[in-house]
Amino acid sequence: MENQRVVRIQNDDRKMIWTIGGGKGGSGKSFITANIGVCLSKLGVRVILIDADLGGANLHTFLGISPSTLSLSDFIKKRVSHLQEVLIPTGIPNLQLLTGAQDLLNAADTKSVQKRKLLNSIQGLEGDYILVDLGGGNALSVLDFFLMSDGGILMVTPEPTSIENTYRFLKSAFYRRLRQSVSSYQVKTLIDGAMDRKNEMGIQNPHDLLEAVMRINEGDAKRIVEETENFHPNLILNQVRSKKDIEIGFSIRSACQKYFGIHLHYLGYVVYDQEVGHSIRRRRPLVLENTQSRAAQCVKEIATKLANRHQMSFRF
Amino acid sequence: MKGIEEQTYYEILEVSPTATAKEIQMAYEHAKETFHSDSLAIYSLFSEEEIKEIQVAIEEAYRVLMDEALRKRYDQSHFQTPGGQQWEKPSEIQGVPWEKKPSLPFMDLSINTGEEVFRGKTLKQIRERMGIELKTVAAETKINMKILEWIEGETLEKLPALVYLKGFLRGYAQSLGLEPQKVIEGYVQFLNESKKR
Repeated sequence: MENQRVVRIQNDDRKMIWTIGGGKGGSGKSFITANIGVCLSKLGVRVILIDADLGGANLHTFLGISPSTLSLSDFIKKRVSHLQEVLIPTGIPNLQLLTGAQDLLNAADTKSVQKRKLLNSIQGLEGDYILVDLGGGNALSVLDFFLMSDGGILMVTPEPTSIENTYRFLKSAFYRRLRQSVSSYQVKTLIDGAMDRKNEMGIQNPHDLLEAVMRINEGDAKRIVEETENFHPNLILNQVRSKKDIEIGFSIRSACQKYFGIHLHYLGYVVYDQEVGHSIRRRRPLVLENTQSRAAQCVKEIATKLANRHQMSFRF
Repeated sequence: MKGIEEQTYYEILEVSPTATAKEIQMAYEHAKETFHSDSLAIYSLFSEEEIKEIQVAIEEAYRVLMDEALRKRYDQSHFQTPGGQQWEKPSEIQGVPWEKKPSLPFMDLSINTGEEVFRGKTLKQIRERMGIELKTVAAETKINMKILEWIEGETLEKLPALVYLKGFLRGYAQSLGLEPQKVIEGYVQFLNESKKR
């Protein structure tokens, strides 16, 4: 069975790019990126991890390898001709790492052409799954990357600080997506204004925005409705300590439905587990170091879900 | 994207229009917990007024949907257009495609179906009384028009194998807001009796 699945993925050229972002530093984005990557690689598919964390790129540490001299900038500065050449082996079969993507995302003058080019190069990489650790940043390039991927994953812990940052990120991403979809300059300006809750137009939420857009441009209003319906970010809740914490994921989903009118997909949760800290200290991925730990079980479950979704995308 | 005042009570509670009282109760508890003023899940997202509005809407939706008579009246006024020809298709909730349709005020149609033997004739009669065209059922259920005609016309020799027939009957029943199980049982009973003869 497993072999069949592998063959199918390799026969098909389609790859999935997942981005992990939002929240804040310390919510577990790098941890989940590294460990889901390991889980997927064990299924026999080729996985590439990309470290684009502005705040502190350290995916390599989670994988127990030293910082590499090779990075994305070697490709950007044309020291190598193909992005494939700057991939670093991780010592884990089927798993490679690309570092230095943060430099490009951070650059204020990064043109959208350049971003598009980078995304194209990434899409051209020889892998089945590409996981991008975006870190906690809110920069426009980060948002664009989040929006351009096949699936954006928000990493949240059940704390007000983390939830606040996540909603801030989601709002920015949501409005940016709307802004990119509309054609009228007037509507674009309206969306820019809506980002600020204290705006003079009295636009308090996405629904107010839609009503305002309806009054000035029906076509754009229609596009906004469509974009809203097609925007399905994903959520992983990390460090849950109780059943009530798990429920928060469902509540966040309901809140997003009411506020944005979007359907957020609750991918899963990872329980709080001291083994996580231990594995990080040993610089070994938890799912290899302590496969039976409760947190590792949670991560495996999420990875399985992602793999199944990949399968779905082949079928349809 | 709908404002809270534009959402149906079912959308407010995130349940299907055919939800049971138990499902509504659970959905209400979830909604109450989610939109409680101290709820962590909504932290920083809504303004105080927005939360108040949602809380009021949740209570109102719960009050109406848990009262059988009020709910029936609500369904009648919200899922029926004045012509009575078409049933508004409720929007999807929670990404789960709905197969069930809002239940119809079936009793109000005062059709005496006796002990509910849902033979083809009866089904056709019910459908016509509701003012729903067969092609509407076909479009909604994606069941071939011919098969629907055979079911209603009791063209027994043409009917598909029982396992498929049951599936079609389920779709048919749901699109009319009838209880699928009763319709299937009734029709199968009718088939068996016909065979004996």
